[in-house]
Amino acid sequence: MLQNSYKFNQSSVSLEIIGLPDYSKNDDEKSISIISQWKLSILNRPDIEGSADHLKNIIKAFYEYSTSLLLDQEMYLENKLIDIKPNKDGSHTIVLKSSKSEIKPLKIVLGNAEFSDLINCIDQLKYSKNIRLNFEDLNPLITSKKSKYQKNNIFIDKLIPPLFAIFSITILSLLSINFYDPNINSEDKVSFDSNIINWH
Amino acid sequence: MPSKISIWKLRCNNPMRKNFIRVNIKYKEFDALIRITSEMAKYLYPYIRAVLASKDNYEDEPELWDDFENRFKELIESRFNTDSVRVKNLIEHKQNKDFYLRILINLSLCNSEEGYYRLKTTLLNL
Repeated sequence: MLQNSYKFNQSSVSLEIIGLPDYSKNDDEKSISIISQWKLSILNRPDIEGSADHLKNIIKAFYEYSTSLLLDQEMYLENKLIDIKPNKDGSHTIVLKSSKSEIKPLKIVLGNAEFSDLINCIDQLKYSKNIRLNFEDLNPLITSKKSKYQKNNIFIDKLIPPLFAIFSITILSLLSINFYDPNINSEDKVSFDSNIINWH
Repeated sequence: MPSKISIWKLRCNNPMRKNFIRVNIKYKEFDALIRITSEMAKYLYPYIRAVLASKDNYEDEPELWDDFENRFKELIESRFNTDSVRVKNLIEHKQNKDFYLRILINLSLCNSEEGYYRLKTTLLNL
């Protein structure tokens, strides 16, 4: 069976995916659902190859790191396969760790231009119609404040404040009615001492 | 975006601008601004990349980065309120050293369909 091969290029970076269609999922002949081989080539750096799981882990790590760059957070990303950390000069150090113990980790230093090429290459792969990989679990999870655009609960946003205001006014009114008895005439509280008052 | 004027009005929502107008940005307008940023970044990517490469190899090729930095400062001085402390900090070299680079990196990471979602999700979660 002939394997399909697709190459994604962006300036200094090239990503080649080789694999087969999954006919049980009604794939057409040109698509790739089962990755048998991939190769990441960065200009003047050694080629990187691995299994489909390695590719997924690497993509996930790069996406997490790129989101941290956008959020302007210094992130030291470490997992079993890859370490990424920012350097003081603005470049990024990537350490790729092989699953085979006899192979030493591969250290690559990328500038910002090369790093953005790499992210763009992965983006091209993600949006390719011919590569059918599940990318949903590769997107980074951002746990942060909820935006004003994301508030959808109209009941909490619009109704609770006026209801709370009406409730507070009612409680205060009831308390004040009990404290001051409105049936007591104010004149009953006044006493006149006829001996002190000197009428002219 | 119905017209260029509506884009201009939204741009004026930046409190650092000389002609600042407070506008309540609707979700659709926010989304449109992200889309415009992403499309412009895609169009300008070769230039953005070249400036980033110049910054990466500043000792050998400083010209492009210096040109970008000077032009960016000129634009800030002509369009932003230079009496504001925040704008002064943008123009002063010590303060802005990383800021200009960060803007270019952000643009380089949002120049695709995935980049558009990346930028949008990030801004919504700031």
